[in-house]
Amino acid sequence: MKRILIACFLFMVMTNVYATPEQDRLALREFFAQRFPDLDLNEMINGLYAFDEGAREQWLEMEDFPPYEIAIEEGEAAFNTPFANGKGYADCFENGGIGIKQNYPRFDADSGEIITLEWAINQCRTDNGEEPLPWLTGELAAISAYMAYTSRGNKMSVVIPDDPRALEAYESGKEYYFTRRGQLEFACENCHMQSAGNLLRADRLSGMLGQATHWPVYRSKWGEIGTLNKRFIECNLQVRAKPYEPQSQVYRELEYFLSYMSNGMEMNGPASRR
Amino acid sequence: MKRKLSVLVISLLTAFVMNAGAIAADETQYMAALEQARQTLIDAEAKVQLWSTSEILLADAEEAAAAGDFDLAVALATEARLQGELAVATAEREKKTWQNSVPK
Repeated sequence: MKRILIACFLFMVMTNVYATPEQDRLALREFFAQRFPDLDLNEMINGLYAFDEGAREQWLEMEDFPPYEIAIEEGEAAFNTPFANGKGYADCFENGGIGIKQNYPRFDADSGEIITLEWAINQCRTDNGEEPLPWLTGELAAISAYMAYTSRGNKMSVVIPDDPRALEAYESGKEYYFTRRGQLEFACENCHMQSAGNLLRADRLSGMLGQATHWPVYRSKWGEIGTLNKRFIECNLQVRAKPYEPQSQVYRELEYFLSYMSNGMEMNGPASRR
Repeated sequence: MKRKLSVLVISLLTAFVMNAGAIAADETQYMAALEQARQTLIDAEAKVQLWSTSEILLADAEEAAAAGDFDLAVALATEARLQGELAVATAEREKKTWQNSVPK
């Protein structure tokens, strides 16, 4: 019996079942350090532009007049417009909602839910008698862009508290990231770890590190600013997997895991991408 | 002569049986194919695996059935079921292997 228990424990250790989130994060950084020995890993917050000098130059030129600028202005105006009851977004968040995006997603011990920033924005609205906003683009993405803008330069600080529900959510997000799916049988990992920096047709693939620091994003192919959930849906469709509803439990858990992996990296949202 | 006749009869019967599959599908066959496909897709979705193409096939099957084309409807529903089965197979395999890709 004792031998069986020891064997089970060793198996779990060997298969990483007992790896803590912090061990996962450090192992991921080591993976990329070995994969790109000449790259400053902190540059990975810039996605594909960390790998592609030509594309980076074009992107930097675009940043002189960033296409997300209007969204920041619209988001700021919306953020400061009081609700019908006289209260506003600032009343719902710590520090009046300024410079806090690095703390999201967070685990809410009362509800047991993973709270993304977009979820919290809509929660603020419904708590104050307002209709929730559509999740993927438009006003919600603009408010999120403004809040991201006020958080620039802060370091991603997602917390996984000592609560089995939080750890379970993190593990579910991790499993989703590494599980192949869809008709093309691709996992997120296949593109953003195994093939990071490589070309997929004409597009260079970004790496997993820093993937959560710069949202929401103005993508040229969208022609507008959109949230991370919009990108999740797009990724799913690209591998011909049925996407989930925006802000579904699956996507919130995925964002929780993905964001934790970027802990310690500089917040640089909103951003522009091809 | 008797032997040749027997061979001929058996051949004709075999041909008839083999061609039975080519007889036009009816609504009952379609409903059975549709139900099988639905159950498989529900199973796939429960395992966090569903292809983006499968439900479209089912919708197309329902459209074909509504137009009275049960041959096409059965073919589409069967394709949806096969896709669901492949998705389930992926899910079951990945449940055992996804950890292998996690950096350690």
